[in-house]
Parts: sequence; C-alpha cells; structure tokens
Amino acid sequence: MPRIIVGNLVAGMKLLKPVTDKNGMILLSEGTVLTDKWIERIQDMAIEAVYIDGPAQKTIPKEEELARLDERFKHVEDLPNMKLLKKLIKEHIEGLYVQ
Amino acid sequence: MSNEIVQVQRSRIENIGALPTIPGTLKRISAIIEKPRVTLDEISHFVANDPALTTKVLKMVNSAAYGFPGRISSVSHAIMLLGLNVVKGLLLGISVFEIMEKVMSGLWNHSLACAVASRMIAEKKGVKDPEEISIAGLLHDLGKVILILEYQTQYETAMQETLQKGITIYEAERTLFSDTHSNVGMWLAEKWRFPKNLVEVIAYHHNPMLSKTAPMETAIVHFSDILIRARGVGFAGDPFAPALSPAVFDMLNLSEKDIKDVLARVEESIDATEDLAL
Repeated sequence: MPRIIVGNLVAGMKLLKPVTDKNGMILLSEGTVLTDKWIERIQDMAIEAVYIDGPAQKTIPKEEELARLDERFKHVEDLPNMKLLKKLIKEHIEGLYVQ
Repeated sequence: MSNEIVQVQRSRIENIGALPTIPGTLKRISAIIEKPRVTLDEISHFVANDPALTTKVLKMVNSAAYGFPGRISSVSHAIMLLGLNVVKGLLLGISVFEIMEKVMSGLWNHSLACAVASRMIAEKKGVKDPEEISIAGLLHDLGKVILILEYQTQYETAMQETLQKGITIYEAERTLFSDTHSNVGMWLAEKWRFPKNLVEVIAYHHNPMLSKTAPMETAIVHFSDILIRARGVGFAGDPFAPALSPAVFDMLNLSEKDIKDVLARVEESIDATEDLAL
C-alpha cells in the first residue's frame, strides 16, 4: 500500500484511499484510476502524496539490483575492505527479497 | 572541449547573495545565518514568515526516520531542543536541496540517507550530539549545489567524464575545476559561521585523515557517504562506489552486524523520507 508523492504519480495508477482536501472533503474517491488530468488537478491542490493500490514499490527485480551493485563496485572491488562492504550490501539486498 | 581548468573564485562563491543563479530563499536564509550573533528570535521570526519553510522544518524535525525526538510543534521549540546549529543546518539543507533536486535529481535522497546513516553510526560509537553529525551528513555535499548552479555546463561535462573514464565525480572535479565541492562547501560553511567540526566534515569528507578537530565526525560522514553510494541510494554525481579510506575503516571498527544495522535503518528511512521530498 505505497504512499506515492504527487510528483511520482503516473496515469493508470489506482487510488487505494480517497484523496481529500485539508478539510477532509473527498476530491477523488477510492478506486479512481488516475489520468493525466487528475494528476494535474491533484498537483494544483497542493496535496503532497496519495495512497496507491498495488504491491510495495519493490519494482526492480533482484537480479537487476545485484547487477547494478556489481556495476557500482567494478572499479574498487580490489581495494581494501571493499569486498567486505560489497558482500554486506549484497546480503542486505538479498534479504529485502525474502518474503 | 577545452582543457582549461575552471577557476572557482572563493570571493565569488562567498558573495552568494550576488550570484545571479542563486534563488531568493537561499539568499535570504544565507543573510540571516551569516550574522555573527543571530538570535533564536530572529531565526524563529524569519521562519515564521515563510509558512512553506515552517512546514518543511517541522516535518523534518518530527520525522522518526530522521531520528529527531518528534512532536515538535514550533520552530522555537525545535531550536530549544536541537540547538541553533542544528536548526541553522536544517534550514540550509532544506533550502539548498530544494534547488538541488531540480538540477541534480537524487542528491537530496543521497544526503538524507547519509544523514540517517551518520546519525546511527554516531550513536553506535557513542559520539555526543548525534544530531550535529546528522546535519553534517545532510550538508556534506553542499558545495556541489553551488558548483552546479554557478558552472552548470562545466559540471555537466564533469558528470559525463565520470561515465567515460569510470571515475568518481570528485576525481572529475579535480581535473576540471581549480577547487572541488569540498572546498566550495567549506568556504560557505565558514562564511555561515558553522561550528568548526561541521566545517571540517564538509572540507575533508574525501580526505578524512586531514581533519584535526573532528576526526571521528569526519570519518563517520566519509563512511556513510560511501556506504550510501555503494547501496545505490539517490545520486551524487556519478554511479560508482568510491574507495573507502582504510584508516577510517580501522578507526570506526564497525562489526559486520553494525554495518548491516545501518543498512537496515537506511532502508526503513527511504520509504519514510518519500514524505520529505521537498
């Protein structure tokens, strides 16, 4: 049930909770599928974030995450302590994907 | 592309109020902060006149992820609890990175994550005033903001060079500019009368062994900076993990569990700090 800041909304996302103004008045009801027009209006209302239906944002597959890790370390892998650091981060990332 | 080195002039950077690219908010905050004896009242008054700024400061000090005590309802209250230096740092952090997010997307997240990691390591090491180290983590890349605003084209060249040559942004800065972001940040930190320890962290986070008055604080931010980049949180100018100073590694003497705890805390904070996107 991710809370998404308004700047990161894209058309097609579905509201998990209604969007309300600061007085609690409902502007868009839950289940609304956002269009560019709605997103623009939400931005105009100075609302910061809304709740979007869907899985938490673990959008990047694990293999991709680990490939990026390799990429970040490619120039420093053989320097002191960097292997250890990489190992710890790798284990940390793998831990994030364990259900 | 010419090979001429860009001369970064200290006087020009220090005269930040006159730099055409610097937005009004930062100029006004700068003018307040550089006063030799700025009082609690003056800062509260200044912030109170800017509702957007007030909201951001309070949101930040009340964020559990950020590690501040919570339930702080006014800026004066925050200053009492956290100290003038921490609030000054927060104000600057907020105004600087608001601009930065527009020019270098990801630097705010990098800085926030660095603040979280720095604070947690400070706690593990029993350093007093962990909030001040948090601020140091938040502001360590201050110089990048100013360099990119003032020398946008050249800074973009520097960022491209990191990809072409497989070097870090700090190394690219050193070949293209007369001074790096750590020097530029230090000049401003001195001009803004930041505490000596904070000035040193900003100045030496890439050369932590040069720090004389704040070796522990500098080591912590050096380590956090690299850890965060190695983890791939945010963006700080290039996509690589820089090398860790072996001396810092020995000095901090963190266990594998310590490091994993820090990574876990940072992970938790990432979701929570979505709210702090400015």
